[in-house]
Amino acid sequence: MTRPAISVQDVSVRFRPYVDRKPTFRKTLRRLRSRELTEVEALSGVSFKVEKGEAFGIIGRNGAGKSTLLRCMARTLRPDEGKVVVNGKISTLLQLGVGFNPELSGGKNIYLGCLAQGLRRREVDDLYDEIVAYAELEDAIDRPVKTYSSGMFSRLAFSISMALEPDILLLDEILAVGDEGFKEKSRTAMEELLDRSGTIVLVSHALGSIEEFCGRAMWLSSGRVMEIGPSRDVVAAYKRWVAGEAKPAVR
Amino acid sequence: MTTVLRRGRNRVRRIRAYAADLWSRREFAWYMAMGNLKSRNASTALGLLWWVLNPLLLGLVYFIVFGLIFIGNRPEGFLAYLMSGMFVFQFTSMSMSGGANSILQNSKLLVNLRFPRLILPVAHLIEAGVGFLASLIVLFAMVIPTGVVPGPEILLLVVPFTLQLVFNLGLAAVVARLAIPFRDINNLVPYLNRMWLYMSPIIWPLSYLDRVPRRLALLIDLNPMTGFLSLYRSVLLGYPFEWSALWGTAAWSIGVGLVGVVLFVKYESRMARYL
Repeated sequence: MTRPAISVQDVSVRFRPYVDRKPTFRKTLRRLRSRELTEVEALSGVSFKVEKGEAFGIIGRNGAGKSTLLRCMARTLRPDEGKVVVNGKISTLLQLGVGFNPELSGGKNIYLGCLAQGLRRREVDDLYDEIVAYAELEDAIDRPVKTYSSGMFSRLAFSISMALEPDILLLDEILAVGDEGFKEKSRTAMEELLDRSGTIVLVSHALGSIEEFCGRAMWLSSGRVMEIGPSRDVVAAYKRWVAGEAKPAVR
Repeated sequence: MTTVLRRGRNRVRRIRAYAADLWSRREFAWYMAMGNLKSRNASTALGLLWWVLNPLLLGLVYFIVFGLIFIGNRPEGFLAYLMSGMFVFQFTSMSMSGGANSILQNSKLLVNLRFPRLILPVAHLIEAGVGFLASLIVLFAMVIPTGVVPGPEILLLVVPFTLQLVFNLGLAAVVARLAIPFRDINNLVPYLNRMWLYMSPIIWPLSYLDRVPRRLALLIDLNPMTGFLSLYRSVLLGYPFEWSALWGTAAWSIGVGLVGVVLFVKYESRMARYL
């Protein structure tokens, strides 16, 4: 039995929101004295496993804790309770173009992005041509990134993440990157990753693509796991719940 | 007893792992600093030239203003004195304000990727350091015509530069650490910098020290900037060298550097919560 790629064990995260909508001197004093008063539970007791070679979807409403959970898996956020065990090299695409400097050329940003992910400069030298070709940027690679269209920008960012050949890819809501041609290409790249027993965790509101792409899925609501299972079942349950929730508003 | 030993050994191992991690990311820090240097003036016509023009114009402004104030009793070589002081001070003040912003500006990076967070203030430090070295070129261009020709002792510049680098790193780390939960710090830093500038022998000549009250003079003596300025001026402009300045700044650098880095690193795991 191989170890799971990601094992999330009873994870809870509480935030103490720092910014008050109407800060007053008295409120500030009170907050300094007792911080617990303003705690918000973003995740409570979340547990699940993602196996190697699996595409795992996470769905739920805005504010359900999906992004917080991804940050825990990327291990940039340490949970208050519980732990996250990760086996393999992670590449994260929680946001596009992390570490980019928009004033610099696309080529320079390939270096910045890769170095930020922990690569050595020499390794980037070797990957450079491949990334440029994959992103289909051609001559635009020498232009500052701020002049890029959003499609070009996303293509560059996605190409960098894929070129790192991660074991685990964390994606937040970016399946809809680029035009049809590039979408097809990125889907192929992700399937290749799965074939070499890589792992993909995907957060998305596009229920269709979760159903289609992910074998299993998890539904989060207010920081709690509502359901884990085959993506079709979970999506169906979520849809029923959303429809039920929406009714009173319609009336 | 043994548990204490084990804990100590664990700590040493953790520190070593952190340092190794930091070292392995040195290219990232360097690339980020160079990128920022280039991009800061990318859309101006003069581009990188601004890294030399900025200190030059600043020095000129101060020279005109304080030349007017000290008219008549302007000490000999006041221009070099003033400019060297301004440039050295700017190195520290830029590291400090850059460090304060380094975490907040790069919140996207912090939230997405795992890496030793100290990289971010270090990148700002590199940027400020390169700017400082550029301003030294301006300084030489201005003092050489007045007859101050640097000899081989210029190589000793490494000493105050290294000390100031460590000092600045500690300072930037402390400010960055505090600015995460208390963004108010960012509003405070410019005033602290201004105050510090006036409390250091930069825009007023050293002879003024004899005229200020004893308590204030003591404060100015304790000011680490006073020591740094003394060291730099002895290397760059041939002012008398003082051992006390060397020991004083070394103590300040090691102290501030150590405290700053420790405070910062201990806080790292909690940083992402405030972004």
